[in-house]
Amino acid sequence: MKPPKFAYHAPTTVREAVELLAELGDDVVVLSGGQSLIPMLNLRLANPTDVIDLGGVDGLGDVAARDGGLDVGAMVTHRQMETNDLIASTAPLAQHAAGFIGYRAIRNRGTIGGSIAHADPAAEWPAVVLALDGAITLTSAEETRNVAGDDFFESLFTTAKRPDELVTSVHLAGRFQDNWGFSEFQRRTGDFAAVAVAVGCVITDSSVVEARVALAGVAERPLRCPAAEQALTGPHTGGAAEVAAVARDSFEPVGDSHGSSEYRKRLVFAETHRAVAQALGSDIESIANA
Amino acid sequence: MREITVTINGKPTSATVSPRLLLSDFLRQDIGLTGTHVGCEHGYCGSCTVHVDGASTRSCLTLAVQVAGRAVDTVESLAPDGEALHPIQQAFQDCHGLQCGFCTPGLLMSVAELAGTNPECGRAEIREHLAGNICRCTGYHQIVDAVERALVALREAQVDG
Amino acid sequence: MAETEAPRFFGSRVSRVQDDRLLRGHGRYVADIELPRALAAKFVRSYEAHASVGDIDRDEAAEADGVSAVFVGSDFVESEIRCVSSYEGFQISAQPILAVDRVRFAGEAIAMVVADDEYLAEDAAEMVFADLSPLPVVLDLDAALEPSAEVLHDGWADNAYVRRAVKTPGFEAAVSGASHRVTIDLNNARHGAIPMENRACIADYDRGTQRFTLYTTTQIPHLIRAGLALAMDVPENRIRVIAPDVGGGFGVKAQLYTEEVACCLAARELGRPIKWVEDRREHFVAAHHSREHRHRVTGYFDDDGRIIALEADIRVDMGAYSVFPWTATMDNGMAMGILPGPYKIHEYSVTGTPVCTNKTPYGAYRGVARPAACFSIERLVDQIARHRGLDRAEVRRRNLLGPDDYPWHSPSGLVYDSGSLPESLESVLSLGGYEALLTQQVEARAQGRLFGIGIVAFTEQTAHTTQEFKQRGVPIVFGYETAKVRLDASGTAVVSASIHDHGQGLETTLAQIAADRLGLDLEQVRVEYGDTNQVAYGAGTFASRSAVLAGGAVTRAADDVVAILKQVAAHDLEAAIDDIVLETGRLSVKGSPNASVAISEICRLVYQRPERLPKGVESSLEASRTYDAEPGTGAYTNAAHLSTVEVDPMTGKTEVLSYAIVEDCGPMINPMIVEGQIFGGVAQGIGTALFEEFLYDENGQPLSSTFSDYLIPTMTDVPDFAVAHLETPSPFTIGGIKGMGEGGAIAPGAVIASAVEDALSHLGEPVVNELPLTPERVLAYIDEATAPGGPR
Repeated sequence: MKPPKFAYHAPTTVREAVELLAELGDDVVVLSGGQSLIPMLNLRLANPTDVIDLGGVDGLGDVAARDGGLDVGAMVTHRQMETNDLIASTAPLAQHAAGFIGYRAIRNRGTIGGSIAHADPAAEWPAVVLALDGAITLTSAEETRNVAGDDFFESLFTTAKRPDELVTSVHLAGRFQDNWGFSEFQRRTGDFAAVAVAVGCVITDSSVVEARVALAGVAERPLRCPAAEQALTGPHTGGAAEVAAVARDSFEPVGDSHGSSEYRKRLVFAETHRAVAQALGSDIESIANA
Repeated sequence: MREITVTINGKPTSATVSPRLLLSDFLRQDIGLTGTHVGCEHGYCGSCTVHVDGASTRSCLTLAVQVAGRAVDTVESLAPDGEALHPIQQAFQDCHGLQCGFCTPGLLMSVAELAGTNPECGRAEIREHLAGNICRCTGYHQIVDAVERALVALREAQVDG
Repeated sequence: MAETEAPRFFGSRVSRVQDDRLLRGHGRYVADIELPRALAAKFVRSYEAHASVGDIDRDEAAEADGVSAVFVGSDFVESEIRCVSSYEGFQISAQPILAVDRVRFAGEAIAMVVADDEYLAEDAAEMVFADLSPLPVVLDLDAALEPSAEVLHDGWADNAYVRRAVKTPGFEAAVSGASHRVTIDLNNARHGAIPMENRACIADYDRGTQRFTLYTTTQIPHLIRAGLALAMDVPENRIRVIAPDVGGGFGVKAQLYTEEVACCLAARELGRPIKWVEDRREHFVAAHHSREHRHRVTGYFDDDGRIIALEADIRVDMGAYSVFPWTATMDNGMAMGILPGPYKIHEYSVTGTPVCTNKTPYGAYRGVARPAACFSIERLVDQIARHRGLDRAEVRRRNLLGPDDYPWHSPSGLVYDSGSLPESLESVLSLGGYEALLTQQVEARAQGRLFGIGIVAFTEQTAHTTQEFKQRGVPIVFGYETAKVRLDASGTAVVSASIHDHGQGLETTLAQIAADRLGLDLEQVRVEYGDTNQVAYGAGTFASRSAVLAGGAVTRAADDVVAILKQVAAHDLEAAIDDIVLETGRLSVKGSPNASVAISEICRLVYQRPERLPKGVESSLEASRTYDAEPGTGAYTNAAHLSTVEVDPMTGKTEVLSYAIVEDCGPMINPMIVEGQIFGGVAQGIGTALFEEFLYDENGQPLSSTFSDYLIPTMTDVPDFAVAHLETPSPFTIGGIKGMGEGGAIAPGAVIASAVEDALSHLGEPVVNELPLTPERVLAYIDEATAPGGPR
């Protein structure tokens, strides 16, 4: 389990990095934290000709407030997400979700930009981005553009990012800081989620005026659940079970050795129930079958 | 091949490495620090844990070229040869926190990080922090005993010092 | 031992002597060893579970950067691994070193690339192309026994390695007199030991002396030497096997592997050392698996829940080949023998079939069949309790062997030497707080929570030797262990032993025994092991035998050396030998406190002043002894475990809340080490109970080949433990010591299954009969319990 041969590039600026991307062709991978890429290299699931290491690139490691939300640099680590005060105050959902990623040593190196560009359908960040009405900033040699999270994740490890583009930052909205929920099913601490559910709500006068319910682990990409969002919107006094049932009936997850499709639907119910209840601030009901 | 300079256990070291060389293999084979153990090479077992700029890092999920200009500390840094064991190591011996010893160096480095960032934590937090270090021998109970004891010893040393 | 005082080290929680080097990162594991001019090996493995092997194209690989050689099956066809049981009707398998015409499991090695380093070897391994034509796969042990199943070895009648049956003469009569019976089917998933150190070996061949030196990650150096000699047809005096520090074994490193043979052959061929370090993915598919048992058990019992007779059918999926030195019958034989467990059962009928399938060969794993046997008998006893409306502790009280029942001749022919089963059960009920837990359960249920309690008692056969193994049909009978004790001229001791320490702490416990017997301090004793040049022979470390057998051999050898010391001291002090007393560091004349001499002085005399020795005493302070723990039927440790769990009703996830153990392994050499062994075993058993499973797809492709797919308990999956000890000495062993290395791993599957069943018992009565209890399986039990119309 050793990485295959590749050519290594260590740019120091975003400009240099995107020029390398433009120049080197399709078999190039970008190394950010490496906590997904290097296992793939070791297992030889990835065989790139070139690796562009962002470790020495300036300006990708900042968290800044903008438009009531946050701009998070692509090289901000999971650990920074977990400990940064601005994240904690403006996007507490993101802070909370960060703690579920891998182990401390993984969080020390893994980055939000790397995770989003990798687009593992079971990963936490893509679901969090959807729940927090996030947007991805992509930079190429030609342009910089923003893509809404809703449009970014296309399929298994596939996104709207072109091969010549780099994820340079992620915008997370701040309006969900009071009512949010996150729950995921892990067999063991640090395992990839079988199902993860992120919920962002805006509640005004005891009524949910905006709701976003995003799930990881139910399809080849993270998905919002419009039916559940609709069920959640309105004057609620704690309808977690109802929303969870709607979510459960909205997906046909693919089964694998970690759980059958039917079982995953049960997990969708359980985790949606918990995340919605957390977002609404109500107690979790203890009886499963709604 | 690339030239790198890394500070390893406090000592600046220059080497020429292939870009694909894993930090774990660099430390073990090029530098001769075999205390860092390789158990899975996909980031799950934690045996290869070292510190990079003070933060715990999987050396099997890090390329040697990525640590150019950085400081890497391995288990061999805890107690220099000829000196007494580090309080964490001593607690592991006192509490029987190791058996075959293979996962131990990685665990010690994870505990060293915990001692720096959350020195007052209790058993549940210790377990949470160390969940990424698999031990197949001990059943963990005596490791948690050892970490509790080490954290107390380090706090007392700080007060005394 | 220092005869005037209590033992200074036996029984104490002394710190381990090996910890200092391991904690500093100065352990020396096989992968840490660098030999000059060594080459790296990488195996190319079959991606098919069953296929005929056509052309293997190795040309591109042979030309690749840094490659010295690429070997295929035809290069090593003179060697193979065979392990033949003496059981009548045993069908023989021969495992090639590299596949020749057929592969029988996904992961079987088909080529071996040797290159300058591991990176280059792996590059070249990707350039070897094997033409594999798939054959029908046999993956399920019951399907394998169907008449229509593809037969996996040439000349075999079917896929049963052997079929065995044992029945007591009074069985039929007992069954016809029983008023009640319960039958359950039980399934234990295939899983394995998975030590943190993968396998590794370095083979070095000296062309001048024609000798092999193999450094390897093994628990059984002498048996590896024996196996290599057989596989390569080389005399044993041309082979030296060295097992340095080994990073955990638990049984998986107690077999000879084809890779070890391949590295030796390649080293001879190339004249350079060959180093192979297994990677984790290889370990999951090619290191031996274990635990895959399917049982049907029937208990016959009276109105009071007393068991009258036991009937069982035991099938074990042993995978593609019989392994050396155990054969493919070891698990089956052990399960057939130990199934009646701790209970006073007189009548027994059992059939057993080890089955050949297209899966990884099956070897030892801590507990060898006893976890499955314990699961079956304990689940059965719980069903008897349910049938008779009895508390689970009460039905055990009525059936456990009592203190007056020893020696107990079990209906399967085992001889239990001693034990404290009822006392251990009562102690664990009190340690675990059983009465309070029953109240807690009522409260939990009132809140809609699923809270359960599990209780299990079991007996662990340990240190069984000649008498036992001669009945097991194995080609090598694993009797004695050997120890050599030598004092040097400075008065310090070297103890060499045929066992191996890969975590069990024997380097320390044997030093404790030797220091006591020799009157030395712990620091004056160095224990060495893991090198076939150190002692003549011995089986190694497995089957909870090393402390008893090596401990006994050390005792005997040390006492022999002390006898020489006394002879010389008597001469030096001008006293009668019988008046010489060994004290700490000294030899004294009884009744004359001033007449004494330091042990180190006597050592100096023996080696450096031969003129001062009495007539007939040679200049040697060395003794080598063996110990077989006669009569060789084993010393029986017993224990009781109590655990509580909470099941999440929405997801089926089971959390182990508490775990209490009361264990009786006789007098403990070092209670701290004993507890470490228990806790480690229980954590592995929690893996058995909740997590660990080698899954395959319908083509025999392994689905559990990384740590993300094969789940080992982490620190948050295992609770704090409560432990207490009883110490009933064995009448059969020196010092009354019993083995205990495996016990912790035996019971948790049964305990946690009992607790999960209990957690659901107010909803319905499903029989929890399958491990591991994955959340999905537990949800299915919940569904079964709550289904309209009750359980099926």
